[in-house]
Amino acid sequence: MRHSPGVAAPPQQDTAQAMKLLVPVKRVVDYNVKVRVKADGTGVETANVKMSMNPFDEIAVEEAVRLKEKGAATEIIAVSIGPAAAAEQIRTALAMGADRGILVEVEGAVEPLAVAKLLKAIIMKEEPGLIILGKQAIDDDMNATGQMLAALMGWGQGTFASKVELAADSVTVTREVDGGLETVKLTLPAIVTADLRLNEPRYASLPNIMKARKKPIENLKPADLGVDASPRLTTLKVEEPPKRQAGRKVGSVAELVDKLRNEAKVI
Amino acid sequence: MTMISEEARMLQDLVAKFVERDLMPLEPAVLAREAAGGKWALTDAEEEVILGKCTELGLWGLDVPEAMGGAALDTVTRMLLEEEIARTITPFEFPPDSPNLHMMMAVANEDQRTRYLQPYADGKAKSGIAISEPGAGGDPAGMITRARKDGDDWVINGRKIWVSRVPAADFIIVMARTGEGKRAEGMTAFIVEKDTPGFIIEREIRMIGGRLTYELVFDDCRVPERQVLGELGQGYVPMQLRLNVRRLQMGARCVGMCRRAVEMMTEQAKQRVTFGVPLADRQAIQWWIADAAIKIHATRLMVLSAAEKMEAGHDVKDEASMLKVFATEMAGEVIDQAMQTFGAMGMTKELPLHLFAQQARLMRIYEGPTEVHRMAIAKRVLRRGAAF
Ligand SMILES: Cc1cc2nc3c(=O)[nH]c(=O)nc-3n(C[C@H](O)[C@H](O)[C@H](O)COP(=O)(O)OP(=O)(O)OC[C@H]3O[C@@H](n4cnc5c(N)ncnc54)[C@H](O)[C@@H]3O)c2cc1C
Ligand SMILES: Cc1cc2nc3c(=O)[nH]c(=O)nc-3n(C[C@H](O)[C@H](O)[C@H](O)COP(=O)(O)OP(=O)(O)OC[C@H]3O[C@@H](n4cnc5c(N)ncnc54)[C@H](O)[C@@H]3O)c2cc1C
Repeated sequence: MRHSPGVAAPPQQDTAQAMKLLVPVKRVVDYNVKVRVKADGTGVETANVKMSMNPFDEIAVEEAVRLKEKGAATEIIAVSIGPAAAAEQIRTALAMGADRGILVEVEGAVEPLAVAKLLKAIIMKEEPGLIILGKQAIDDDMNATGQMLAALMGWGQGTFASKVELAADSVTVTREVDGGLETVKLTLPAIVTADLRLNEPRYASLPNIMKARKKPIENLKPADLGVDASPRLTTLKVEEPPKRQAGRKVGSVAELVDKLRNEAKVI
Repeated sequence: MTMISEEARMLQDLVAKFVERDLMPLEPAVLAREAAGGKWALTDAEEEVILGKCTELGLWGLDVPEAMGGAALDTVTRMLLEEEIARTITPFEFPPDSPNLHMMMAVANEDQRTRYLQPYADGKAKSGIAISEPGAGGDPAGMITRARKDGDDWVINGRKIWVSRVPAADFIIVMARTGEGKRAEGMTAFIVEKDTPGFIIEREIRMIGGRLTYELVFDDCRVPERQVLGELGQGYVPMQLRLNVRRLQMGARCVGMCRRAVEMMTEQAKQRVTFGVPLADRQAIQWWIADAAIKIHATRLMVLSAAEKMEAGHDVKDEASMLKVFATEMAGEVIDQAMQTFGAMGMTKELPLHLFAQQARLMRIYEGPTEVHRMAIAKRVLRRGAAF
């Protein structure tokens, strides 16, 4: 792995003894909730809506916990960037097995680049050996934070991971790509983003939920990390997708082909 | 009013997931079994899998003190969990399986704690309680089962009925008269082990909702002095203590059942079209839904408020009575309207609704019938006014 000038040097640490994992977790509208656009078109309705940890981040936390259980990692730090209430998602990660949390409190929208910059600042402080993120968040589906973070750090990235094997100075990631699986080996420190098939997250057990209460969460503001998290983009308007039109029945394959060719003009 | 802690919410979430992923998938099998005239209860094989899952998730001994290896959850949290577990018709209770725990914790001596309470708290021993008699149910103080002292032993004679959980129970708490006092005076609790001679399971009685209860005969049933639970002649008050916990639990369960009923009802109302319009657009149906939502909310607040008061160590006899009446009646109405919304489908044994309806119906009788609770509430209001 090469380091281009101007990017962060890898943190100094003895991976054989200490292997810190950093897992960012995002507070999003629960996947069971049918999302509705706000009446004024400025975004989606989040008031009185059940919020949960982004499902891909749950997979990331699970992977980190499994690595720690296997003895491949020594500490897991869960980070959330969002409103004060995002402490709930950190607490969930702690109940799943993370050791401590960091909440960077930001009200309102935070764009992937701002998140990546904040994570970079935390990485410089905490010096983790591996960052495991969800491949994307189910609210804005950006699929960008992991990649941007890798670019900012100048580290290797293994996105869409369906398998992660951690060694002392490298991580081997099996990636789900179009047409099959690709396996990459990255020098640590590195960035991995979790895909759906990486694992099936556990539910936090009752004793672990009770233990989570005693685990620390550090509260920070972007200014504490010297990062300007203000949005760079402006949302002009959010609209519902158009309602699906009723379908039509066709009598035969010939008729179908005819309609696709002459009416829909798609073939 | 209670602020529900983050931890309580997480635990509620955990139980909600457990219910959805582990209990609800058993519903079709449970319904089919019940429809075919079989038992509602889980089979041993089903129960084993579920208990394994509970161990894994630490969902065990929720109200058992920490010193006895339990989770020692506060009453408010426990009620939230009760609410979740009632969303499925798959019959399951987190072990230990009944509120005898509270009566025993209040009065059991050291020896009884070791022999009965600890194994029970560990979920290893099961138990039941025999209060009702053919001639005394809603008015338990009218019971006539009697225990008389004979040397170092007590000899119990009498008949108990409608007793739940009997065949599986390792021991039964039996209420009997020992003194000369009238009504609630002179009543004593005894721990009677399963195979004690003279303790006879007379018959199994099938009830609606797939429930089974038993008639028991005590024919010169001899138990040693150390089986006396609590103080001689003072059994009535701890027995009531047990019932209060149970009544709060029943309130929470009604909320859980109704939440499910409303979920099913709204889904059906949105997709079912009659006379060219979805049922959800009809005011008749909308009012059922609105009234259900209002009543569920009110009942939940009653549950949480009583739970909070109980947690603070106060007597919740009145709240428990009000809740018992209100929750069970509202469950009857809400579930009935859900069934009505489903038309003929609501009359089938394929949906869980009919079993919910029957559970709610049973609840108007056990742990004190509705009318007796109303009587008790009225007595108090007549005496002291309606200030709470
Ligand atoms: C599913 C189920 C499980 C049970 N499990 C147990 C158990 O494990 N152990 C146990 O001991 N018992 C158990 N019981 C019995 C239960 O506690 C009694 O059925 C209940 O207390 C009512 O007593 P009863 O059936 O004798 O009715 P009764 O007391 O005869 O009452 C009959 C009717 O008269 C009404 N009534 C009574 N008194 C008054 C009054 N003063 N004013 C107005 N109306 C009145 C009642 O409300 C009721 O509607 C169970 C019952 C059921 C249904
Ligand atoms: C025991 C039994 C025997 C039966 N036997 C026969 C049989 O032999 N032959 C046969 O053909 N059918 C039979 N049926 C079917 C019966 O006729 C239908 O169930 C009944 O007409 C209701 O129709 P549905 O079940 O489709 O309910 P739906 O029409 O879907 O109605 C569902 C609910 O919505 C309400 N609703 C509907 N429209 C409105 C509205 N405009 N405004 C407000 N509320 C509305 C209804 O009152 C009902 O509560 C039987 C049903 C039962 C339960």
